[in-house]
Amino acid sequence: MPEISLSDSRGRDAAVYAESVRVPVRVRYVDESGRQAATARVLKGTLDRDYAALLEAAGAPEAVAAALVAGDPELDVEATGAFLRDTSRVYVNSERRVVHAVTQVEVVRNPDGSEKLRRPKKLAVPNVTPEQPLLWGGKLLPKAAAFNKYAMVSKLQVVHVNGLTYDFLFGIARELEAKKSLLVLGAGPKANQPLVLRRGAVPYRGFLEGRTRGAEYLLLLHLSNIELKAPEAQTP
Amino acid sequence: MAKPLAFEFCDRSVEVGLEKVDRTKLYGWVDVEVQDDAGRPCELATLVGDGHSVVGKGGTAIAYLTADGLWTTRAELRPVDANGQPVTPVKSSFDAPIKLDATATPDEFLEHNVHLIYQVVPTTGFDELLAELTAGTIYHFPFSYRGGVEASPAFLLLGGDGTPFLCVGAATALEFVGPAATAPAAEESADAGDEDALDFSLV
Repeated sequence: MPEISLSDSRGRDAAVYAESVRVPVRVRYVDESGRQAATARVLKGTLDRDYAALLEAAGAPEAVAAALVAGDPELDVEATGAFLRDTSRVYVNSERRVVHAVTQVEVVRNPDGSEKLRRPKKLAVPNVTPEQPLLWGGKLLPKAAAFNKYAMVSKLQVVHVNGLTYDFLFGIARELEAKKSLLVLGAGPKANQPLVLRRGAVPYRGFLEGRTRGAEYLLLLHLSNIELKAPEAQTP
Repeated sequence: MAKPLAFEFCDRSVEVGLEKVDRTKLYGWVDVEVQDDAGRPCELATLVGDGHSVVGKGGTAIAYLTADGLWTTRAELRPVDANGQPVTPVKSSFDAPIKLDATATPDEFLEHNVHLIYQVVPTTGFDELLAELTAGTIYHFPFSYRGGVEASPAFLLLGGDGTPFLCVGAATALEFVGPAATAPAAEESADAGDEDALDFSLV
């Protein structure tokens, strides 16, 4: 449960929790006796036994076919079907060797596929941390006008950690509910930067929604990375 | 041409086309070119736990296992709901008109995570439905593109730019929280309030 720091409209901040909102599993698979089945990732074949490797060894596709008829060169009986655990992502070069030092360049493309710019790849740095309060920027969007402008692709539920932060968050929820608005929540000193929750994660725009029910509250941080609008027509 | 999606609205069928909208169509996308020291292109692979076997694209698979950990096939398994009851497979939403008889509030819409967005391309006879959407009505129905074990919640609504959209997503489990979720207050003891009972020998 990540800890975040949130400010209210009075400029007071508090460290609270931002929980992932669960999407209930509606369908699961069971075996004949009604017991829960599971999935596992297994090995089909390693790089040294795939088609490119066999082709390099045999010299021609016909020779690969002959080798497949004669035996099982694509199979490593010791490895094929093994459960894959404790794996790592690595880069291999065109010679199919693991590379330990790489240069990564991002090619930014326009919606029509044309190249916009090239830049060294930079991992996004998290900016939603207990040390960096999410400031109350004051930009409120009426809920009735905002719900169909942005697609909320994910959400976090902000919850209190003690009695004091309960009062703090309840107050924010009640204020947003009374104003029937979503608070645009951004990172940085001007509260206008996209939210990056983890290193290298997708940046999102944040929208804080508050609801109350008696002494209970629901404070949702909606996350969006796409507007609900039609794409511009591309010229051929 | 793709099969149209039909809605049953005001006792008649309204057919529309669907065009998927994603970030690439709105904002473009980013390709990452990876090169080694010699300038050769690189691609991602998986290093297996043994520390030396490398698996390329397509070199892994998902297997189904019984509760005893034995290999099985998907065909031998059956889908059930959260209560263990058999699930009736759903047909593709393109197979029959979708009845627009349920609406949702903006709050209900916001309780869902949107995973897929389709721009609704109107055909003739869409005017009345468009008027309802313009008035702020959000239609809610289950949707399945190809059919399968379950349908996803879908919403037909007018976007902020006046374009009708079909948003397909997933409901989330939201819970109101109250003060009871915090640390409980200290229990009152029978001799509470008796200052003489304070034992300073413990200090």
